[in-house]
Amino acid sequence: MAKQKTFIEDIERALYDVRGEDRPRYRSESGLTEEIVRDISERKRDPAWMTEMRLESLAVYNETPLPAWGPDLSALDMEKIATYVQPDAQMAGRWEDVPDEIRDAFDRLGIPEAEKESLAGVGAQYDSEVVYHSIQSSLTKQGVIYTDMETALREHEDIVRAHFMKLVPPKDHKFAALHGAVWSGGSFVYVPAGVEVKIPLQSYFRLNAPGAGQFEHTLIIVEKGASLHFIEGCSAPKYSVTNLHAGCVELYVREGARLRYSTIENWSKNMMNLNTKRALVEKGGLIEWVSGSFGSRVSMLYPTSILSGEGARCEFTGVTFAGRGQHLDTGATVVHAAPRTSSVINTRSISKDGGVAVYRSGVKVAAGAKGVKCAVNCESLMLDDVSRSDTIPVMDVREDDADVGHEAKIGRISDEAIYYLTSRGIKEDEARAMIVRGFVEPIAKALPMEYAVEMNNLINMELEGTRG
Amino acid sequence: MAAAEKEIVYGRIPVPTWRWLGVNEVRVSEEVLQETPAARLVTIPAGETRELTVVTRDEAVSELHVEIGAGAELRLIRARLASDGTQCADKVKVALAENARIVYTAVNLGGARIADLLDVDLVGDGSSADVVALYYADGQQKIDMNYIARQRGKNTDASLDVQGGLAGRAEKIFRGTLDFVRGTVGSVGRERESVTLLSPNVVNRSAPLMLSGEAEVDGRHATSVGRLDEEKLYYLTSRGLSEADARRLVVLAAAAPVLERVTDAALADEIRTFIERRLSDG
Repeated sequence: MAKQKTFIEDIERALYDVRGEDRPRYRSESGLTEEIVRDISERKRDPAWMTEMRLESLAVYNETPLPAWGPDLSALDMEKIATYVQPDAQMAGRWEDVPDEIRDAFDRLGIPEAEKESLAGVGAQYDSEVVYHSIQSSLTKQGVIYTDMETALREHEDIVRAHFMKLVPPKDHKFAALHGAVWSGGSFVYVPAGVEVKIPLQSYFRLNAPGAGQFEHTLIIVEKGASLHFIEGCSAPKYSVTNLHAGCVELYVREGARLRYSTIENWSKNMMNLNTKRALVEKGGLIEWVSGSFGSRVSMLYPTSILSGEGARCEFTGVTFAGRGQHLDTGATVVHAAPRTSSVINTRSISKDGGVAVYRSGVKVAAGAKGVKCAVNCESLMLDDVSRSDTIPVMDVREDDADVGHEAKIGRISDEAIYYLTSRGIKEDEARAMIVRGFVEPIAKALPMEYAVEMNNLINMELEGTRG
Repeated sequence: MAAAEKEIVYGRIPVPTWRWLGVNEVRVSEEVLQETPAARLVTIPAGETRELTVVTRDEAVSELHVEIGAGAELRLIRARLASDGTQCADKVKVALAENARIVYTAVNLGGARIADLLDVDLVGDGSSADVVALYYADGQQKIDMNYIARQRGKNTDASLDVQGGLAGRAEKIFRGTLDFVRGTVGSVGRERESVTLLSPNVVNRSAPLMLSGEAEVDGRHATSVGRLDEEKLYYLTSRGLSEADARRLVVLAAAAPVLERVTDAALADEIRTFIERRLSDG
């Protein structure tokens, strides 16, 4: 008898694939030149230091080779990418003031509804610019700042200058340099010492224009003893041309502060998602990453946590779902740079229909970082024999007083588990569904409720007798 | 010295990762490889069972190619017992036919710098590789290992089990790859690494890769890096052993399962004595 296999449907994308009319107010020439970078800088009325940083980044980009590891990036032709697309809208503080067509796009994604029900503030970016931003007045009264990066650059220039691309310097890699040259939009959050933001803030990034790039910059500073949950969502309709996302996220978690950074990435399958995220965590601080990677043609995403203060902690929870035509290379990096820091990395990946899921990580324990504890667990489920699942972890330990453990599993749904469940009266298809849901459950429960529901909806399962 | 230290790539992990981690390549001094002898070829005829012990001491480079016929088994013990201050490089390639089996035991001790490569190709259906390795390094020693088990046949079984201790300012990299090639239906792979850190100045890097192009497999790996088990040490010292003796006992106990596979009693004694002496010196 042929073995049965669980068939998991592709992620339902109809919602995300609705295209808005491509009618920007301004679209830069495709390609990447000094003129284009100067033009973006001028249009944004950058201060001189920012223009200089953009040009220095461009120089770094031009002299930096493509990565010698990871997915094939040959489909990316910067000559065919417009790096700046200004939507035909001004930034608004009320949804009513956002042009109908753009508002419709966010309505379909449920952003205004979510804002009413469960968010303390929302930012919405369409192509290269933020078109909507709001924050509850109770938070502004406590000194919380949540605004778009351009406004932050004008109104809080000193803070931005002290932190912007300091954690992710342009020299870090080619796409960090690209970001430095052409960044536009993104969010700035400042939470003063001791303030607990109890309801999450959410920024949503929508790239509507074909053949374009989105390069938003997110900068969050959570001061001593403060706390925040920030949610980031992103999607785009599918085009036949390649789109590029090279955002940058810099997170500063001060002494005793807590930051949860949740992301559901659901880019279309023509997207190259080459994003960089990094957090610096001071004494006793906590960074929690919750990361769902579902979309894009290629993803290279490895949030990094630098635990710089004694007792700082990192918890990383990630799920990756790679279907047909997708190569999702994801993972995490943790640098234990101080004593008694700890980290837990927990990931699940599913690959099907020729999809490639790669878990890649680096854990470093610096000399002198005594009492470090690190536990990594990654599990991969392959649903057919045309897909791939690779696990590429590296641990670099330079301190004997450390406890570092890594466990990984690759495999299929176990026959024993199916047998066990069916012998207890559960139908086989339900048993298989239970196992797959159980596989991603540790991740689902770390997601905000509405995203957990969305993830369950995204992963629709059905059973076919001999499929695969 | 600069010219003498020109290095060439001696081995690579099958899939590269971030360069800053420094694990993509095993590099060996060009000078060391200048005197590379021809690879020694060992063929085990189908159905035969053999045992082979290879001890390398003064030779800078060794290369062994092993072909194991259908249903044959080779118990291969390879010990690198390098003289102080020397650099050396060893490479073993194994090809396994249907239902062939290798039981491989490697020991790396001594020298200034050891490169150790193992490439096992489980081509035949039902072939299996049982690989165990032991190392101990102290002072300024560097050990650089790259083990690959490539599972191609159906129902293959590969196990990599590596353990060792690092003291002084020793540095070690162990890369262990279980590579499930598409079509290796029903195969099982296990990798386990345990590293005991005996000094605050050591550098340990571990890269346990698991690559899979086949769904019908069961692959697992586990790595643990840390100091000696405090509870065991406490137990032993509370029974009158000095801390140094307790440490020696715990390290040797961990090495015992590997030493049991070394059938040449004199060689096993030599390895045990070597580790004991180094632990006492440390």
